Parts: sequence; structure tokens; C-alpha cells
Amino acid sequence: MADAAAIAFRGVMKRYGSQVALQPTDLEISEGEFFCLLGPSGCGKTTTLNLVGGFVSPSDGEILIRGQSVNKHPPYRRAVNTVFQNYALFPHMTVRDNVGFGLKMARVAKRDAAGRIEEALALVGLEEFADRLPAQLSGGQQQRVAVARALVNQPAVLLLDEPLGALDLKLRKRLQIELAQIHRDVGTTFVYVTHDQEEAMSMATRIAVMNHGRIEQVGTPFEIYHRPNSAFVADFIGESNFIDVDVGPGGRAALDNGAEVPAPEPRRSGRATLMVRPESIQIRRIAEANGSGLRGRIAQSSFLGSHTRVAVLCDGVETPVTAALFGTEGAAASDLRPDTEVVLIWDPADVVLLEGAEGKEADAVDVN
Amino acid sequence: MARDLDIVSPRGRLTRAALAGWAVLIYVFLFAPIVLLVVFSFNSNKYGTFPITGWTSKWYGQVFHDYQIRDALTTTIRIALEVTVVSTIVGTAAAFPLVRSRLPFRSGIRITLVLPIMIPGLLIGISLLVLFTSVLHQQLSPTTAVIGQAVYTTPFVLLLVAARLQGFDASLERAASDLGANTYQRLRYVVMPLLAPAILAGALFVFTLSLDEFIITLFLIGSHNTLPIYIYTQVKFGITPEVNALAALLLAASLTLMALAFVLPALVRRAVRLVPRKAGA
Repeated sequence: MADAAAIAFRGVMKRYGSQVALQPTDLEISEGEFFCLLGPSGCGKTTTLNLVGGFVSPSDGEILIRGQSVNKHPPYRRAVNTVFQNYALFPHMTVRDNVGFGLKMARVAKRDAAGRIEEALALVGLEEFADRLPAQLSGGQQQRVAVARALVNQPAVLLLDEPLGALDLKLRKRLQIELAQIHRDVGTTFVYVTHDQEEAMSMATRIAVMNHGRIEQVGTPFEIYHRPNSAFVADFIGESNFIDVDVGPGGRAALDNGAEVPAPEPRRSGRATLMVRPESIQIRRIAEANGSGLRGRIAQSSFLGSHTRVAVLCDGVETPVTAALFGTEGAAASDLRPDTEVVLIWDPADVVLLEGAEGKEADAVDVN
Repeated sequence: MARDLDIVSPRGRLTRAALAGWAVLIYVFLFAPIVLLVVFSFNSNKYGTFPITGWTSKWYGQVFHDYQIRDALTTTIRIALEVTVVSTIVGTAAAFPLVRSRLPFRSGIRITLVLPIMIPGLLIGISLLVLFTSVLHQQLSPTTAVIGQAVYTTPFVLLLVAARLQGFDASLERAASDLGANTYQRLRYVVMPLLAPAILAGALFVFTLSLDEFIITLFLIGSHNTLPIYIYTQVKFGITPEVNALAALLLAASLTLMALAFVLPALVRRAVRLVPRKAGA
């Protein structure tokens, strides 16, 4: 990464009155990334996007686009373009004029512009709709026009503000694939805001999980899912079981009632929260069990087609522990009646220890 | 379906017939005088009233040959055009701070700005007369009449444009800015084209109001005549068929302009839609 990052935040923070929308943040996004800002509403992800777009000015810190500070640049002087949540297409202009608007503002020669508009429309598959007005297009088509209108200007970064939020689920899935495809085709850096973890996981090369105006964790979808560094991230991405334990050397993890469960080597002894994904849990009948495991009774077993979900009430754990059993395991679980005594086991390598009682300010423990 | 209704209310048919009759009466009350005036304007009877002695269009010819009428017509149209320009510019410009700025007491300001619509024309006329003659020592002229009329007509433009601006999707301007448009370009390519129908409707409305404005104009115009004032002075000596013809013409002009104010925005929209399609073919 010899070149300057596409976007860099240096201690950027945003305050509205006494309310902090974005805590002081350092962040680098490299050229060509598909970078997702993911978090619940009010977490500061849209503020972060608006800071890059220039619609919000930082209270402190410096924002760099391709190595240049843009703090003082208004939106129309930044090499970024945005796909807005409601598309914000100009209703009085045809698709062609919408897409060509940026080029017209940049005073690109008419002939060059016409070619680039055609190219952009071809990229999103809307060549035949060039002479329509936005009102004559479906939601999905409007969204594609918005993408073409932004990309035609060849921005350093394309910002997308929940662009699929208004579409129905099926269309959303299709456009997710299309957007990822467009990203590969043009190679532009994408910064994508969403509250939908599945959307982020399916498209992003890297994800920043945000909460309360703070970036909790930045990583690849794999890292975020398998090595969350806080209970919030673990809970927000996918489903997790949290079990409070006392950890000690040698991978010893004891529940409050003294029973031991499988765990990795902790960074330090003491109170911790053990996070284990439902699909990492295996269920053994008491007779078959050997060694350490979490004992409990089946509360409910539900067959959900692709997998079977089993809720288990465990001794020494407050909330039921959920296991997801796939394939043959799932089939075998069909005869697990409520109140059957079982032992839950898992591979210590699949577990994340979040230290600190609630795991709230926990650091991830490197288990490998 | 009618039968279902009859079952629910057996006397419904009677009630509906009575209501229809009442509606006709209201129409007669509202429009009979106007229809009568138009009828009289084609009556060959030179007293301009019943009995109808035959049909003629000669009164219309005489209207255009009367130099006093021609003079009044020229003054009327000149004033109407000037009022339209002044009101449209001032009203449109005033709509922006009213909707966009964070003025304190904004709703209060809005009410005061549109107050001239409710203030009696008499009051506007007298107060401006005092201002022009006693305070500013100005000669009364069509120009003072233009100013007086604009006081009354500008709020109409303001209301129409402000309503349109209120419903304006702010994200469109953000998008334009994002795509490289500076403040002037945003106004030129995005805001103005989208406000145009409201501005146009406002302009036509003002022109129509100005055409037959009487009270304010009477106070402020001095020695000149507009058509309404000319008609008024003529009526003092009895209703002539020329006056009927003139009033009928004024009516036709007003109706045409009003129709335009309603239809034009839709026509403009359709034209916008058609032009690029032609280019594509």
C-alpha cells in the first residue's frame, strides 16, 4: 500500500451540541475496497459517510481523500459521489440527463459525455431506458440509475447510503449481487452504509461495526464473525451464546456452579464471557458424553428445514443456550424430546473469550 | 346499485332530485348575471338591455375604434405586465427565506407577509395614497398604481412558490451538490426548473388579478384610466352596449388566463417529456 489510502480519518470526531455523533476516529480505507459501515440506527455510520461526502463538517480531526485534506472542501469539490437512500434522482430530467448531470457540471465535452453516459448505463443494464423519466422506472431501476449517475464521474470513492433499504427482499438480494459485480468491474472504492449484517457480509471486503458513535471493530467478514472483539459485535453479527465464566491457565473455564466447560487459553485469569456460535455446538446424550461439557436439559427442538434449532436449559447459565444442528446431526436431533438430559460440547478453537464480566469492554483473545 | 340504494332509503330518489334542483338554482344565482351581460353585448338594442332586438357584433367593433378604450386597454396591459414582473420576482425571492431560513417566528412572518390579501383594498389604496402624495410628494401615475397593485398581488406568488418549495425534496439539492453543482448551478438546473410551474402559475394569477383590479388602482393612478376604471366612469352615464362588450372581453381574457394558469404547468411537464423522446427517435 505505497499509495495514499482512498480515505483516511485522522482523529475525526463530530459533535452536535453536547451529543457526540462520532467519537474521535482513525480509519483507513484502501483503494478498491468494498468497505461497509455496519451498525444499528444512530450508531454514527451515516454521519461517517456524510463526513466523507462533505455534507457534515468534522468538529475535530482531519479527513483525507487520496492523501489530500478535504476538510474545507464543499461536497461539489470532492472527488466522491453518493448513491442516496431515496436515490434523489432529478424528477424533471430523463435518465440520460440524470446520469450526465455530473459531467455537465464538470463541463465535459458533449461528445465525450455522451459516450460515458452510454457506458455507465450499459454498466447497470439500462441502455433502453435512457429517455425515460425517473417516475417511469421501478424502484430497482431507479436505484441503478443512481449508481450510474454517481459512477459516471469516475469518483475516487463511491459512497452508498443504505441504497437498497427501500426495496423488497428478493430485489435486494439480486441487487446485492449486481453491486458486488459492478464493484469488481469498475474497481472503484465503495463505502457502503447499512444496518443489515447479511448485506454487509455478502458484499464487503472489510466491515467496520459501529455502535454509539464508535467503531467497535474493523475486519473482514470472516474475522468479524469468528473473532468478534466485543459482545456487541458478536451479538450484532449473527447469533451468539454468551456464558459467564471464570477462566484460568490451561484453558480452564468454570461456571458459577463450578462445572467446567471447554475454552481456549485465556490472556489472563479472571472473569470473562465465553462466546460460542450455535453452529459450533454439538449435542451428546449423557451416556455418550466424556470429559468436560455443559450439562443441561432440552427445552425445545425446532426443525427449520435447513437445520434444527435446539434450545437447552443449562445448569449454571441463565439464558437457554441455542444450538444449530445441520445435516445428519440435525436429523439425529429429531428424537431429542424436551427434558432429555444432554451435554453440550464444542471445540475450544471455536470459542471467543470476551474478558471483563459482561464482555462489554473486552479485548478478543487470540486463541490460535 | 341504484336499486340497493332505493332499498336503504326509499325516498332517496326524491331527495336526490331536490338536491339536483338546488344545485341548478345556485348555478343560476352565480352565473345568470354574467351570461346576461354576454348576451346583451351581442344585442343590437342600443340601450344595452332588454328587449333583444337582434344579434350583432358591432359593439365589439366600436370598442376597438374608441380611442379612450384603446388608451385604457394599453394602460391596463402595461400595468398588468409590470405588476406581474415585480410580483413574480419579489414573491419568488421572498419564498426562499420564508421556507429555507431558520428565521425566528417564521409562521408569524408568513402570516404577516400574506396579510395584504386579507387587508381591504381600500386601506392599501388610501395608505399608499398618503405615502406617495403627503410623505414622498410623488406625482400619481401608472407606476404608483403598479406599486399599489403589487402590494396586493405579491403574496399570491409567495404562497404558491412557498408551497412548492416546502414540498421540495432537499436531497435533490444534496445530490446536485454531490455531483459537482455549485450554488448557482443548483438553482439554475435543479431548483428553478422544479419551481417553474408554481412561478408560472403565480405570474398568470397576478396578471389576471391586475387586469380587473379597481379600488387600489383608482386611488393611485392619477389622471390615467385602466379598463375597469373606464367602465366605471361610463356606467355613471348609463350602461351602453360598448361597456357590455368590453366587460365581456375582459371576462374572456380573465377566463383564458385562469385556464392557462391551471393547464400550463401540465403542458410544460408533458413537453419536457416529449422533447427528449423526439431527440431519441
